[in-house]
Amino acid sequence: MVAFSLNGRNVELKVDPATPLLWVLRDHLGLTGTRFGCGMGLCGACTVHLDGAAIRSCSTPVSQAAGRSVTTIEGLGGDHPLQRAWVEHNVPQCGYCQSGQIMSAAALLASNPQPDEEHIRQAMSGNLCRCGTYHKVQRAILSVAAVEHWQPAAEDAS
Amino acid sequence: MSLTRRQFIRNVSVTGGALTLGFQLTACSGKPLQLGSEADFQPDAFLRIEPDGAIILQIPKAEMGQGVVTGMVTLVAEELEVHPERIGYAMAPVHSAFADPEMRLQITGGSASIRVYHEILRQVGATARETLVAAAMQQSGLDRASLEARDGRVRSTDGAVDLAYADLVAIARALPVASDVALKPADQWQWIGHYDQRVDAQAKTDGSARFGMDASPDGCLTAVLLRCPWFDGAVESFNAEQALEHPGVVAVFATEHGVAVVAEGYWPARQAAGKVEVTFTPPGGGLRDSAAITEALTTALDGDDFASVRDDPASTEAGQGTLVSGRYAVPFLAHAAMEPLNATCRLTEDGCEVWVGSQAPDLAQDAASRVLDVPREAVVIHNQFLGGGFGRRAAADNVAEVVAIARELKRPVKLVWSREDDMRHDWYRPPMAGAIEARVHADGSISHWQHRIAGPSINQQVLPVMMGAMLPQWIPGGPRQLVGDFVGKKDFASVEGSKELPYQFDGVSVSYHNVQVPVPLGYWRSVGHSHNAFVVESFVDELAHAAGVDPLEFRRKHLAADSRERRVLDAVAAAASWGNAPAGHYQGIAVHDSFQSCVAEVVEISLVDGKPKLEHVYCAIDCGQVINPDIVRDQMIGGIVFALSAALHGEITLKNGAVEQSNYHDYQLLRQTDTPPMTVVLVESAAPPTGVGEPGTPPAAPALANALFAATGERQRRLPLRMG
Ligand code: FES
Ligand code: FES
Repeated sequence: MVAFSLNGRNVELKVDPATPLLWVLRDHLGLTGTRFGCGMGLCGACTVHLDGAAIRSCSTPVSQAAGRSVTTIEGLGGDHPLQRAWVEHNVPQCGYCQSGQIMSAAALLASNPQPDEEHIRQAMSGNLCRCGTYHKVQRAILSVAAVEHWQPAAEDAS
Repeated sequence: MSLTRRQFIRNVSVTGGALTLGFQLTACSGKPLQLGSEADFQPDAFLRIEPDGAIILQIPKAEMGQGVVTGMVTLVAEELEVHPERIGYAMAPVHSAFADPEMRLQITGGSASIRVYHEILRQVGATARETLVAAAMQQSGLDRASLEARDGRVRSTDGAVDLAYADLVAIARALPVASDVALKPADQWQWIGHYDQRVDAQAKTDGSARFGMDASPDGCLTAVLLRCPWFDGAVESFNAEQALEHPGVVAVFATEHGVAVVAEGYWPARQAAGKVEVTFTPPGGGLRDSAAITEALTTALDGDDFASVRDDPASTEAGQGTLVSGRYAVPFLAHAAMEPLNATCRLTEDGCEVWVGSQAPDLAQDAASRVLDVPREAVVIHNQFLGGGFGRRAAADNVAEVVAIARELKRPVKLVWSREDDMRHDWYRPPMAGAIEARVHADGSISHWQHRIAGPSINQQVLPVMMGAMLPQWIPGGPRQLVGDFVGKKDFASVEGSKELPYQFDGVSVSYHNVQVPVPLGYWRSVGHSHNAFVVESFVDELAHAAGVDPLEFRRKHLAADSRERRVLDAVAAAASWGNAPAGHYQGIAVHDSFQSCVAEVVEISLVDGKPKLEHVYCAIDCGQVINPDIVRDQMIGGIVFALSAALHGEITLKNGAVEQSNYHDYQLLRQTDTPPMTVVLVESAAPPTGVGEPGTPPAAPALANALFAATGERQRRLPLRMG
């Protein structure tokens, strides 16, 4: 049995504790917004928050989440300031990497609400985008950093 | 191909008193199309308006990020007089009504979607609008001149009549569909060329967008497949004892494609797969190592067995002027889309259903029907969003694999490729070698341009598969392969972008030698242009330097004065302040026509401790009428990032017939920190729209190589380029 908080709700499930959190989310819990890209911590498509910090769920055994709080793209609620900025700036192309991009960006803003361009580039360099949406990602994050002080505490209120 | 409205929308059947209209371009038969309900207003196969006012557009093309859904919705919205966001959309099922009118297949490729459909979809919108207005005329007794359609309503000019489209559905569906409807003139456009949002952005931002990977019919299991590392092997034997003991594993069995390991979820399937011992049949002969393939290409270039694809005689005698020559080479490349390949299958009474993100759902349908040996109509394809396509998802190998697994398993199953599977079993961009020469004369003129290209033919492999889906199913494969072999001799995909050289040189010849390799080949964003632009535009730069002329001036001088190439060159040069780069910065330029669009790019680099660093990329495109400016800019930038990833890192190598790379650490892509700022200029044009998804890619590699030459004085003629 592994128990943790997922997007503000408690979940408890019987699963091999070595199973990566990614596959627990996708295959056991049906939350498909978190994507599988490389399985090796190289692309960032599977990024979620563990106690507010961005982690690669493909390389994190679910046992590490026990007793802790996990937030996925679904947990951001759809109109998180970053998500609104993403829509306004038309960031996604194919869209496959974008859950991971947004989760990385949300963790960045939580730790540094007003990053400059160089901070953003560095913090986002673990998230690959084959479609090449990097400029838009940067611009969308900057727009939020410039206008809003997002409250990280809001993340778990679902 | 232009269509008259009579051909375009026509009544195909009247069944049970309900009028069903269809859009039929080919003589292909097929099941009548059943979409929505009988209560809907459905003027053609593309559009339906439901009684509650919901508007649904069938999208005949795959959405893989290029923005085709937004483009198509915008075109219909413009004429239908509704906001684009009011139009819902669905991925069209496989049906002849949705086959591309040029290709006759339901394929997304060749950057053709908007070029081919822009007028058709405006007619779809206009026809529906006029039929709704006719319904309002009937309801109100007013004439056409007193009514106006706007914002999803029909109103009378005096305001007395004000009807929502929803209120008109019941009348409209009983009326004959309007014919000979005039399209709105460009100066009245509200959305075309102006709308700059994406209608799929929200779903792709909140996690709700459904990709093939997310399909999950009831009771669905997950399979992984152990494939032979070399491409011509099959399973000889396997031992699954240990794997079967792994918790969650349901079955392990061999199919014609490999050993399938089926479990309750991806993780147990992948873990158990690591415990299966498989022996594959040994590799056959032929070219099995990258070194041997490179050598075969070089040998071919040294020979004289070439098929001519262009041969304009020179008016000057050979032997005059200074001979300039160079040999170029490019490697195999993988597509490496972010979503690894996958497909899901559920058997039905007479066939199966397949969930997949496909650039060619009819090829997927054909592949599935062959595995089950059932008629194509017994296979239903549910097309999904594609987590990147770039040409890879036109192939249906993943579909054939999952259907074979479902056939044995007899339960719904999703096949998930690992990133390693995806990297090692791609349909690769083929390697190419080029020998190119020309003569530079004292007066600055150029003559005797000769470009010889040696490399494998994509179409020799792929056309027989495509024809399989177009022809009746009983036609055997042999004749199709003959056609493939014939086309392969002068493969148009291998020479595109070289054969059409736009420069006014005196005597241009281009020829090709097909070198077959035992490796699956496929279309890779911009196909032949991806390597020919590199060779041609690098060599044009060599000629400019040999002639002692500025590379921009040299190009301008040899292009027609009123040409598109010159216009985009001038636009990009102005944006980049060509010739006035900041101190310590070096610029390279290239221009290339592809998919009927013309793109010029300037790459600007600096040297930091002697190491080149990307500073800025400038791009100008003429793609005719722009539908969505923001999407065109994004496609240019995305195409450049794609090209620079390949130019700096991209190389797939083979050892003993197997691909050596496996994941993003040894097949690297540009990251956020590697991507320089970019500027995109859209050259204004009222000509019909042309390609956008691919044309941004070809000029980037040569522009970078030319910038490297400007910075270092060293000419690099091989991709990937060395950066210091
Ligand atoms: S899937 Fe986890 S980092 Fe790529
Ligand atoms: S939007 Fe396609 S991979 Fe990022």
